[in-house]
Amino acid sequence: MMQRWRLYFIALAMGLLALPVQAQAPGVRVAIVSSQTGAPYMEAAQALVRQLESQGVPRSAIQLLNPADVASVPAATQATLKVWVALGTEASAALARARLNAPVLSALIPRRGFERVLRDSGRTASAQFNALYLDQPLPRQLALIRLALPQARQVGMLLGPQSWPEKPALIAAAGASGLSLRAVRLDDDALLFDALQSILADSEVLLAQADPLVYNSNTIQNILLTSVRLKVPLLAFSPAYVRAGALLALYSTPTQAGTEAAHWVLHALAMRGLPEQALEPADFEISVNAQVARVLGLTLDAQALRQALKRLEQRP
Amino acid sequence: MKIFDIRQRMLLAALLPALLLCLLLSTAFLVSRFKDIDEAYGMHTHAVARQLALASEFGLFSANGQQLQTLAHGALREPDVRGVAIYDRGGRLIASVGEAFSAGMPAVASAVQPVSSEQDLADVLTQTVYASDLSLDDLYEAASSANQGQAVSLGQVVVKFSLQSVTQKKRDILLLGGLIMTLGLLFGAVLALRLSAGVIRPMVRVSDLIESIGHGDFAAAARVQAQTPAHDPLHHLQDNLMHMSDRLANVQQELESRVAKVTQDLREKKEEAELATQAKSRFLAAASHDLRQPIHAMGMFVARLAQLSHAAPTRQLIASLEASVHALQTLLDDLLDISRLDSGAVPVRIQTFALMDLFERLDQNLSLTALDKGLRLHIRPCHAMVYSDPVLLYRILINLVSNALRYTEKGGVVVACRRTSSASLMHIEVWDSGVGIAPEHQQAVFNEFYQVDSVAHQRRQGLGLGLGLGLSIVQRSCQLLQHPLQLVSRPGVGTRVRLTLPVQAKPADQPALTWAKVPASPETPQATRMPPTQDGQACPVLVIEDDDLVRQALAGLLQSWGFQVAQADGLSAAQALLHTGFVPGLIISDYRLKGDTHGLDVIVQMRQQLARAVPACLISGDTDPDLLQAARAAQLTLLSKPVRPAKLRSLLNRLLAVQRVRDES
Repeated sequence: MMQRWRLYFIALAMGLLALPVQAQAPGVRVAIVSSQTGAPYMEAAQALVRQLESQGVPRSAIQLLNPADVASVPAATQATLKVWVALGTEASAALARARLNAPVLSALIPRRGFERVLRDSGRTASAQFNALYLDQPLPRQLALIRLALPQARQVGMLLGPQSWPEKPALIAAAGASGLSLRAVRLDDDALLFDALQSILADSEVLLAQADPLVYNSNTIQNILLTSVRLKVPLLAFSPAYVRAGALLALYSTPTQAGTEAAHWVLHALAMRGLPEQALEPADFEISVNAQVARVLGLTLDAQALRQALKRLEQRP
Repeated sequence: MKIFDIRQRMLLAALLPALLLCLLLSTAFLVSRFKDIDEAYGMHTHAVARQLALASEFGLFSANGQQLQTLAHGALREPDVRGVAIYDRGGRLIASVGEAFSAGMPAVASAVQPVSSEQDLADVLTQTVYASDLSLDDLYEAASSANQGQAVSLGQVVVKFSLQSVTQKKRDILLLGGLIMTLGLLFGAVLALRLSAGVIRPMVRVSDLIESIGHGDFAAAARVQAQTPAHDPLHHLQDNLMHMSDRLANVQQELESRVAKVTQDLREKKEEAELATQAKSRFLAAASHDLRQPIHAMGMFVARLAQLSHAAPTRQLIASLEASVHALQTLLDDLLDISRLDSGAVPVRIQTFALMDLFERLDQNLSLTALDKGLRLHIRPCHAMVYSDPVLLYRILINLVSNALRYTEKGGVVVACRRTSSASLMHIEVWDSGVGIAPEHQQAVFNEFYQVDSVAHQRRQGLGLGLGLGLSIVQRSCQLLQHPLQLVSRPGVGTRVRLTLPVQAKPADQPALTWAKVPASPETPQATRMPPTQDGQACPVLVIEDDDLVRQALAGLLQSWGFQVAQADGLSAAQALLHTGFVPGLIISDYRLKGDTHGLDVIVQMRQQLARAVPACLISGDTDPDLLQAARAAQLTLLSKPVRPAKLRSLLNRLLAVQRVRDES
């Protein structure tokens, strides 16, 4: 089933790439630059295009590009472009370097990635160059903890050097949600176990936030193992972590990201521009590892949690 | 090179392929098994190390020394594991069990590093422990830059494996392989022996059979064939062998009988020939003995007759008679010489002497004959000292010269010495200008009784030539003396006979030769005409002879010489004479007397009876060499019949002279 989907995505990508050649129409208004041709990017691109089309943007007005092609886009095309969409960190960095006239919306990008792009290009987030983060807002995560683990009060976090400055804000947010958050700084992954042990000792749930220094493919196994041993559930930020053994994951799918990006593209096309502040995903998805839940003696339903969380957020 | 017999060859032929096959199979089996063992060992050790590394991951991550120690203990229970050590990423030893590691943690980061140390037969494997790389396929991952694509090492696991069990296994398999091979070879050998026996036994049997036949046992084939079953592989061959040996036996039997018959024939022929030779010898001996008596008597009669006074025509007649008797006696001498040479009765007394003496005698004896024939006999003086038997050499020379004179009608005969190239040898050559001998006869003239036709013709005409024994005597004497003889002749021109004999380099003082013993010296006319000496006139002589005629002739001759003669026909008569008071001064006895008495015994008894060594001599017609030997032993002179009167006379004179000297002393 997955295989079929993948083939479909590739065919679509080829079709989109061929578009500008067929019709060097002066009416190209949206350019989508995808970092990779991997499944999540294509999925996001597809959702984006579909959403735009459904909102009356003709296919000919959408152009899909590689990051390398950005510099060679003809001036005529550039003149007609109303908005650039960057899918992924790489595409975002390429567009940041290009200094384009039209506003740029980076989607499918983690917050740390976008911050690095901004740092590297010396820009700041603005209506001209903004991003729709992949990362879920902290209140939502804390709300999910409250929903899924009602008894849990102590939330632990491992923070890398980059996210360490955010610790007070984090603690404040947790406090607002009725939770007590404790964070431990990790500078060297060699000390990961000690840090993990110290944080897990006092926590009822471990909240993982995307920080490659702490959470990466090499560390995740041992982090999960340690947390499961100590019967401390982990709330992760990607479904892959659930597959690897995390109890819960709160995330946005590429389709959701694409669809949401289309919303902001249409916003820009409607001459209303892009917001000044970086955007956080509105839609989300929840994954539960039933096996781990069973081990921890929990019964969780991902859809129920999602609905509950949505309802919680829609309440004023 | 060593030669194998058939049994060894068969065994070799059967065993060699089996041995090669066994070796090949064993080698292939062992190599494959060793490889399997090594592979299994390698896989096992790697699996243990890998498993330990995997299991240690969390322990190392969590620095859980206790857990790692437990894991290490677990690993130690695995076969072949002798020691386990686990180091963290900083190189600190977290857990360790079993044998200690000599050099601490290997500072190598490679995945697996086998370290073989031959001393303790152990492998050390080092496995780096990595954190599991869980692919997240995550959008966040793509954004992360740290540790991208790099495995993170958590520490190292070091496992020491013993090679002992592997070595033991290999040894066991080697042993097993060797055992299987040995058993296979043994089985092959037994099988080969059993199978080859069926082939070898008949072959050996046939080989033995052929050997038996070769040794002449022809019955062996039938015997062996009877014991051989009909299904034997070599039955047919043996059948043929049996027929062959039968045929061989028949042929051999036939040959043997033929050889026996031929041998018998030959034996009979030989016996016949021997009988004939004996008959001839007997005849010759008898004839010469019987002829001797009358000729002996006749010689003495004629000698006595010649001493009487006669009218001139009668004297002439008597002279002719004397010559005839002389010729007759010479012929008889020749016959006697041949007979003695044939019987080996001639003694050889080699000595050094002056050839000149011999030549002088030759000249004395033959110059008259040459003169009678009107020939010139020239004997060149020679002063060499030769090394030979003077008696035999003289007989050779006198025969050669006589022969030369006989066959020469005009011209002459020359006898000369000639030096040879060798200082130790000399030739004596006799040249004549006679009729010569044709080349085809030159060898045959040396045969007995051989005469060239023309000569035989002359003889038949009554020219008084010899029997043809002269050259035969010469040749036999030369052979006896080992003097080479050479004859060169051209018919009508002449003949040269050359005799080669050793010579002494420098002349030595040699006593003059005495010729008293020479038995066959022809008489000089002067001797017969010599009157009896004064000393002999009164000497009484006893003549013992059983033949009346001979006795009377001898007595008459002795009386005519002036001896007083008494006669006896045997021992008893002689003894009777002694009893009458007769004392003989000399005894002449025949050797063979009546009955079994011998002259030798009679003389011995006479001497005993007279108690003094009366001079005596024997006369015999026998040529028996034993007789000569006996006479010599008794120091008696033996005269062969016919005795020449002159010779007898000179002997008697000598004996009496010796006796007289003895009496005087």
